[in-house]
Amino acid sequence: MKVELLSYLPIDKLRESLKGVDVSPGDLLPHTSFTFAIEGISRACSHQLVRHRLASYSQKSQRYIESDRLKELVVTPRTVAEKEAELFDAFIDTASETYRKLLEADVPREDARFVLPNAAETSLLMTMDGRAIHHFFGLRCCNRAQWEIRALADSMLVRVREVEPKAFRRAGPYCYQLGRCPEGRFSCGRMEEVRERYEKLSL
Amino acid sequence: MRLELVAHTSDVEALIATAMLTTTSVSDPSTIFHRLKNKPTRVAGLVNRVEVQHGSILDHNRLCWMMEATESEVLDILLMNRFFSFTRLGDSKWLVSSNLRTAIRYAHEHRDSFGEALLDSIRDLVPSLHLDVGRDGR
Repeated sequence: MKVELLSYLPIDKLRESLKGVDVSPGDLLPHTSFTFAIEGISRACSHQLVRHRLASYSQKSQRYIESDRLKELVVTPRTVAEKEAELFDAFIDTASETYRKLLEADVPREDARFVLPNAAETSLLMTMDGRAIHHFFGLRCCNRAQWEIRALADSMLVRVREVEPKAFRRAGPYCYQLGRCPEGRFSCGRMEEVRERYEKLSL
Repeated sequence: MRLELVAHTSDVEALIATAMLTTTSVSDPSTIFHRLKNKPTRVAGLVNRVEVQHGSILDHNRLCWMMEATESEVLDILLMNRFFSFTRLGDSKWLVSSNLRTAIRYAHEHRDSFGEALLDSIRDLVPSLHLDVGRDGR
């Protein structure tokens, strides 16, 4: 997985442009935005990502781009690698072979892609405003989030803190933002550990 | 009503071109972006081909305006388009922001002074984009 912040609107620059009008950093957040290149995540992860609707996405298309290197470009979960690596690899081989045969039979890419697995890697451009990304960190940095999107959220948070350390010092999972866990009976019960982790999180 | 573009994200046209190529190219978006960033002629050539109605590639930016307008004028805008963000700065003074897609779509759908002012404020920012195509049947 590779995450790069390509463009953003600095809060200080925005504040200067207001010519002396005093606005709180919280009120400026929805007027800022962050654009990331996100590369080498699974389609399973991107399916979760696009559920955040207050964001914009431009994703590599399986209609236009042939998945001719599927065997090399898959994300293998650690549990699968540890427990059933051969079974997983055999399935990827079969999916890859079936995809190739469909293309050879003149099935269009947009239909042949139906056999591609969720493990297939994808890349995309994503833009979120400052308020939406705060909410995204609240949900997806949480221990209850799935491991791949949590890793993605952590990478994004590191990059955002690098350029906006003050505004995003308290960004992270909701237990870190609020000082209490909003997950109720589903809470991981490890707030202290989480707080310590997000106090230190940086490049 | 008075409108002034006061801040925006960097590399607006380069990111439009990057979004265009991301969907259809085997290269990754960061590679495309760094390849294009310092090639304004190539970027202009790509952006020049954009059909404005194909809007999602215009989303990867943020534009901020200072606006002088009455509450009634602001309410009209908010009722017509839910994608603008407003913060009150003082009496009849507002900070307004949106992405390029929202601004262009508003101007295309509403022939009012706000729409005209939006388009006028962004012409220099995206000189390669045909802002008036699709507007008023043009």
